[in-house]
Parts: sequence; structure tokens; C-alpha cells
Amino acid sequence: MILEYFQYEFMQRALLSALVVGLCAPTVGVFLVQKRLALIGDGLGHVALTGVAVGFLTGAAPVWTTLAVTVAAAVVMELLRSKSKTSGDVALAMLFYGGLAGGVYLTGIASDKGVANLQQYLFGSLLTAGWSEVWTIVVGGAAVAALMLVLRPWLTAICADEQYARVSGLPVAALNLLLLVTTAVTVSVSMRAVGILLVSALLVIPVVTVQQFTRSFKATMFAAMAAGFLISGAGVLTSAVQDVPPGATIVLIGVAVFVATAVIAALTRRVRQTRRGHLPPEGEPLEVELPAKA
Amino acid sequence: MPVLNVRGATVSYGGRAVVRGADLAVAPGEAVALMGANGSGKSTLIKAVAGLVPLAGGSIELFGTPQRRFRDWKRVGYVPQRTGAASGVPSTAAEVVSQGRLSHRLLGTPPRRADRDAVARSLAEVGLADHARCSVDTLSGGQQQRVLIARALATDPDLLIMDEPTVGVDAETQAALAAVIADRIDAGCAVLLVTHELGPLTDRLDRAVVLADGKVVHDGAPPRPVGEHADPAHQHAHPHANGHSDSDDLWGGK
Repeated sequence: MILEYFQYEFMQRALLSALVVGLCAPTVGVFLVQKRLALIGDGLGHVALTGVAVGFLTGAAPVWTTLAVTVAAAVVMELLRSKSKTSGDVALAMLFYGGLAGGVYLTGIASDKGVANLQQYLFGSLLTAGWSEVWTIVVGGAAVAALMLVLRPWLTAICADEQYARVSGLPVAALNLLLLVTTAVTVSVSMRAVGILLVSALLVIPVVTVQQFTRSFKATMFAAMAAGFLISGAGVLTSAVQDVPPGATIVLIGVAVFVATAVIAALTRRVRQTRRGHLPPEGEPLEVELPAKA
Repeated sequence: MPVLNVRGATVSYGGRAVVRGADLAVAPGEAVALMGANGSGKSTLIKAVAGLVPLAGGSIELFGTPQRRFRDWKRVGYVPQRTGAASGVPSTAAEVVSQGRLSHRLLGTPPRRADRDAVARSLAEVGLADHARCSVDTLSGGQQQRVLIARALATDPDLLIMDEPTVGVDAETQAALAAVIADRIDAGCAVLLVTHELGPLTDRLDRAVVLADGKVVHDGAPPRPVGEHADPAHQHAHPHANGHSDSDDLWGGK
């Protein structure tokens, strides 16, 4: 039955890449959500389109041109955000417009060099990935996850309270840049799996799903990795059974899981509140003097 | 040598001078309040001291080193003005307080025993030892403020800078915080406190600097409380303490 699908090597490759991306993308996403930059993955995804088009134009491997272009965009975005008065969402808007326009423009110039391929980058094409591409994903994913796990306390500090982090003398600018560059690497490396337009989903959805139940940052990070792993795995299996594109299936399952857990979380909160009978938080004294009962 | 020496500091926002030629010095172990009405420039001056806004003129020295070249920020504990409830990804109180130890750790290294001890000690000092593993989002406003103060204490500062730490904190917690800060002052820590009200925290002050319209208009004895607060017998025992004042629990309640 389901195992039958995995006697094909292309299915093994698809599953392996999806699982690695699902496991590693949330380690970056947890900081982006904390920093309220949940859409940055999508923004860099649009820029990646320009990167792919540069690849078509120059004949270089799209993974590497995408990496170069997204990293450059991440650096420019961070400089805009920190050095000028441009706010984060304005810088993000520029990424969306500029990236999309650049991709379409450059593909137009390179129109004789396989534009039909653009769609496989937009929406992902796990099933056509070769082993060398799978290993790029595995190595890149492992490097990203290791870096994020080791630097977790520092990155948490700059994402939660940047001003405090500056006063404690942490290298805030360097860490901000590192986070954005890592995001760029994640987007470029995982575009094969879920596609440029959907990669943001694997950065963000596992994190916002599990954070409804977790109390600590550390637990959120690890639970999000597990959730990303499961969602990606389930997506590839479902898409194999139904013969539909894996990227879109992964994202739809993620969205469905998020909506379901949001409803469950709201219900459990309500039940708990009713049971507690609306007691004030413990340890807080009442602010008024109650009249003594005569 | 003063731990903090501000000379003729001028800070402007968009061409408008908010702080105009302010002088401010804090000696080792001294407790100084920076006071003034809303908009007097006191928060801006403190942000300049912390290096968060650039100076348009004048100079700032920390522990005898010009601020531009000062790197020993772990000697400074900073309590920012609380801005709304923290949201986004949940963090426990212990995780927030451990941010105060990051400047003691080499980038990428795990916490040592001294770091973990400092976090536990600071949480206990502000009466939140039992809440170490609670998500900060679920704590009350006063408790969140105590978490931020614990974070500043965890760095074992020689200079503690606090920006309006008692806004939204009930009277009893203020009194308990005042005791915690007084302990640190006794241990030799200098304190620079921004406030616009007199309260338990201001009782222990050595000096007050009052700003008005960006200029220092008073530098000397702290303003005296008036009314019933001026009564030497007044112990800041508020009505709702109601006979529980003999309780040995500093934090009233749990």
C-alpha cells in the first residue's frame, strides 16, 4: 500500500527532502515569528524568483544564483531597516514588488532558455529533484538547524527585546544580519521542496501551531521542528496517494492543522477559565480595602 | 571616579532638542533619581546613557571610559520602560531573566553554573522563584515588571539603570522592590532611577536630578514628600495591608 510508493527512488528523494526542510525551516521561523517578520520568508521567496531568472540568463545552476541574490537582498533589507527610517514592513513590501518584477523581467530577456521551468521553482517540484539536489538540502538544512540551535539564547534576546540586547552589549547588528542571511539560505535551499511561493509556510506554520500550547521558547522551537517534520511527511504521503503536487499538499495540511489547533486551544482555554472561576492571578494583592462586615 | 558622568548632553529628535546641555553624575554606590514631568526629556536622557539614542552634543562616560569605546556593558543593568504585554513566541520567566547573563557568556557556549545560579537568585530576589517556569504572557503586569528587574539584577551590575520601573505596579510590590534595590545599594551598586512620582523606591535616594524642558533645574537633595507621607512615622503601610504587615512574606500573598 503506502510503502509501495517508496520503492521508487524519486519518491524516496522527495520524502527525504521534504522531511529535512520540515525539520529545519522552523528553527529559523521561530525567531522570525518572535521578531514579527513572519512574511520575510515570502518576501525573500519573491526575490528568489529574480535569482532563478538570473540562473536562466547566465546558465548557472539556479540554486546558487538564488542563494547569491537572496543573501544580497537580505543584507540590503537589514541595512534599510536599521540604518534608514524605512520600517520593516516597507522594506518587506519593496522585496515583494522588486523580486517579482525582477523575476518576470529577466525571464523575459532569457525567454529562449527554458522559461517553462519557472513554474517548478514557483510551486516546487520535489519529484524531479536529483540526488545531488537532495544532498544540498540535507547539508544546508543541517547547517542552518545547528547554527540556530547553538545561538538560540542570543537570537531570542535580539528578537524579543532588541533595545535590551543592545544595552547588554550583544552584537545585535551582526546577529540580525546572520538571521536574515540564514533565512535567505533556507529559502534558496528549500525552494526545490515546496516552491518559492510556499516556503514561507514551512518557516511559520509549525511555529504558530505549536506556540498555542507551549510555555517556553525552547519547547516551542523543538515542538515546531517535530510539527514541521510530521506535516511535511504527511504532505508527501498524501500527495503520493492522490497524485497531486506535494508542495501545495504540505502547505494545505499545515494550514488545516493550524486552524484545528487554534480551535482546540480556544476551547481548552475556555474550559480552564470556567473551572478556575475567574480567580485573579496568584500572588497579586487586592488593590482595594474591603469594608469590614459589621 | 564616577560610574556615570554626563556632561552637557544634548539629544535631538528630528532637529528638535529634547535634552539640552544636561549634566548628570553618579558616584559608585550612589542612588540618584532622575525626575521631571512627562516630556521633560528624562527618558530620552536615560536612553542616551544606555546608548540607544545618539548624542547631538556633549559627552557620556561610563566607569571612566567614553561611551563610544565602552565595551563592559555587563556592568550595567538596564530595566526598560515596560511596553505592553510581551507576545509572539512564549518565553518563560527564567528564559527572559537568563538574557541578563548573555553578556557574561561567550557566543554559542552553554550556560555555566554561575549563570544558572544568578538567574535563580534574581528570580528569588523579586519573589518569582515559583513562577520561573511560567510563560511571561500569563503573568500580571506587576509580575512582568518584576521579571524585567530580575533580568537586570542577574547581570550583577555595578550600575543599575531603571526607566519608570514602578509604572503599573501595586503599592505592596513597590515596597518589596524598594527593599530589593536597597539591598543592592547596600552591596555597593549604583542606581539611576527615572521616575515621575515619589514612592517607596525614592525613600532610599541620595540625590535627585530634576529635568524640566530638557534642562537640569535641580541637582541635590531629593524632593521631600508632603502631606501624610512627610510624617516620619508613616511606614508606607497602606490600608489594604490591614494587619498583615507583620507577615514575614515580603511579597504579600503567596
